[in-house]
Amino acid sequence: MTAPSAGAAAAATVAPHDDLVIVRDLYKYFPITAGILQRHVADVRAVDGIDFEIRRGETLGLVGESGSGKTTAGRVILRLTEATKGSVQFEGRELVGLSRNDLRPLRKEMQIIFQDPYASLNPRMTVGSIVREPLEIHGIAHGKEADVRVQELLRLVGLQPHHANRYPHEFSGGQRQRVGVARALAVNPKFIVADEPVSALDVSIQAQVINLLQDLQQQLGLTYLFIAHDLSVVRHISNRVAVMYVGKIVEIADRDRLYDNPLHPYTQALLSAIPIPDPDIERRRKRVILTGDIPSPVNPPPGCRFHTRCPIAFDRCKVEVPAFKEYEPGHRAACHWVEEHGGTAPDLTVTPTALA
Amino acid sequence: MALLEVHDLRTTFKTEDGVVAAVNGLSFSVEPGSTLGIVGESGSGKSVTSLSIMRLIAQNGTIERGTILFKGENLLDKSEAEMRKIRGRDIAMIFQDPMTSLNPVLTIGEQIAEATRLHLGLNKKEALDKAVDMLRLVRIPIAEKRLRDYPHQFSGGMRQRVMIAMALSCDPAVLIADEPTTALDVTIQAQIIELMNEMQARLGSAIVLITHDLGVVAETCENVLVMYGGNMVEYGTATEIFDSPKMPYTMGLLESLPRLDQAGSRLIPIEGQPPNLLRMPPGCAFAPRCRYRMPICDEPVPLYDFGNGHVARCFLYDQRAEGQKPIEAENRPVIAGSAVAQAPPRVAR
Repeated sequence: MTAPSAGAAAAATVAPHDDLVIVRDLYKYFPITAGILQRHVADVRAVDGIDFEIRRGETLGLVGESGSGKTTAGRVILRLTEATKGSVQFEGRELVGLSRNDLRPLRKEMQIIFQDPYASLNPRMTVGSIVREPLEIHGIAHGKEADVRVQELLRLVGLQPHHANRYPHEFSGGQRQRVGVARALAVNPKFIVADEPVSALDVSIQAQVINLLQDLQQQLGLTYLFIAHDLSVVRHISNRVAVMYVGKIVEIADRDRLYDNPLHPYTQALLSAIPIPDPDIERRRKRVILTGDIPSPVNPPPGCRFHTRCPIAFDRCKVEVPAFKEYEPGHRAACHWVEEHGGTAPDLTVTPTALA
Repeated sequence: MALLEVHDLRTTFKTEDGVVAAVNGLSFSVEPGSTLGIVGESGSGKSVTSLSIMRLIAQNGTIERGTILFKGENLLDKSEAEMRKIRGRDIAMIFQDPMTSLNPVLTIGEQIAEATRLHLGLNKKEALDKAVDMLRLVRIPIAEKRLRDYPHQFSGGMRQRVMIAMALSCDPAVLIADEPTTALDVTIQAQIIELMNEMQARLGSAIVLITHDLGVVAETCENVLVMYGGNMVEYGTATEIFDSPKMPYTMGLLESLPRLDQAGSRLIPIEGQPPNLLRMPPGCAFAPRCRYRMPICDEPVPLYDFGNGHVARCFLYDQRAEGQKPIEAENRPVIAGSAVAQAPPRVAR
């Protein structure tokens, strides 16, 4: 792997932001074994060398399609899954390789909200004991004090204190997701990984939970890594956005920069694929429709991983991994075409031959 | 005459907790070659509507009332044997999950050929040739070879293409697509929608597209039917529904949607929870969540006509409601915004 040094260098020269989380050259391979001897035959290269920072108090959106590695990235950062190699720093402390004992106090600084509010709550526990459990595990509150804290937390996420005695099945999807949020907040975390927190919810309920997450961020000064496949939701909630494709980050930028001036052809295609709920706009819009399927992370294409579907790929893309370079302040992308054209974005709505 | 005309459909299910009317009094029609989008959230009855049309309601369900006229004939009067001839030939269906709706132990070719042999009386060779043609039409590369592959050898998007090929192989007059792209990634969704639009232009089938995604509707549908709590609450052309919605639920849906073309202004959610079909409000199903709720909303709501076929079920447009003031919705949960004001103090670090 040759890629990431450009990104690291760029980050070092720019005035340092207040970075809460710094991810450097992070890899996660899941081995595939075969036979009775469990011989190691290949790897699922779920996260294949990523670099980025999450600034204190911001929401970083991490978008990608299925198999892009976005969920694995979130889990590796929290050390819910061990990294294959690389570095994750949280408030200047290295998390990769930290012993269980040293990690435990840091666990309460970092929490996760899961996608499926039906599967992520224990059906045999009352909502009260679900929210209370982390308080006791981390020794934050016990007895009466914990009861009071549970009531506060339920109120904080828009539930009623008497809901503490009910079971998850008595709640709708949106309310369950509120319970998941209350559980994550119980230990006063600084950093929350929200993994597709609204994807399983109905549209009218989605907005309730998005607003709740935004209010809580303001109120409590939280930092979010917001993982999602829905670019409309990500645009709405994020300060900065990173786009993943088959294990790699292909582009990262401030929200408006990424949506107004996407450099990477994949980002452009992804944005173009989202339908806009307005028939007049839809009729006028020029679309980039990608051909082909998302490659398997077991056998990612050589060179640029996107070259098999990229309408403007040329010979270099098939052999050389593009460097993740900074083209505008804070706007990095990994694309040979962009590099060779001085950081200008290709216009994919024009026929590919006209661009060459 | 409309191609498909549903009138006063009521489909109920027996559950442990009582009888639930998943669809209750629904009427609409589909013109030949047109695209109708049926939009609604979980539990609104949109899928049960499509299954009722196909007469594929589960064991514990009954179509209690109504008529479903297809080319003037009531499908509810047909025998099971007659329905079997209509399904797949005249009215075809694409389901949400292309993995569970294909038979894993039959090749793709056999599955497509089965439909044409059964309905069009083709022999084995003709049917397989036709299957190759259909796979080419939905742009599956090296179709002659892929014919012999099994479903697990295809990706999700490819499987959905196979489903479309199968559904269109008998040239149906109506294609019902129930959340056809929901299980797919966005770049694949765009491919499938483009394909469906193209197929329709080419083959002239009417499409009933059932979805929760208003973006997909805006992209494909001429007419939109909005469902809530088992019945239609608004119907109109896509332009009318998106530009001048009349029913507060439709307005709320559009307002609560984050949009790709708009930067982050605060979303306006619809407060409250979806209705419990076991305990439906007496009048308008949306009333408990509606910011315009009036005392009259507890009475049965008629449809109001706004011209051009645009109708909505809401008392805001009724003379009887004049002078009635909105009442505060009961059971409205504590709104997050107001709750945050009383947030507990942060534990000092």
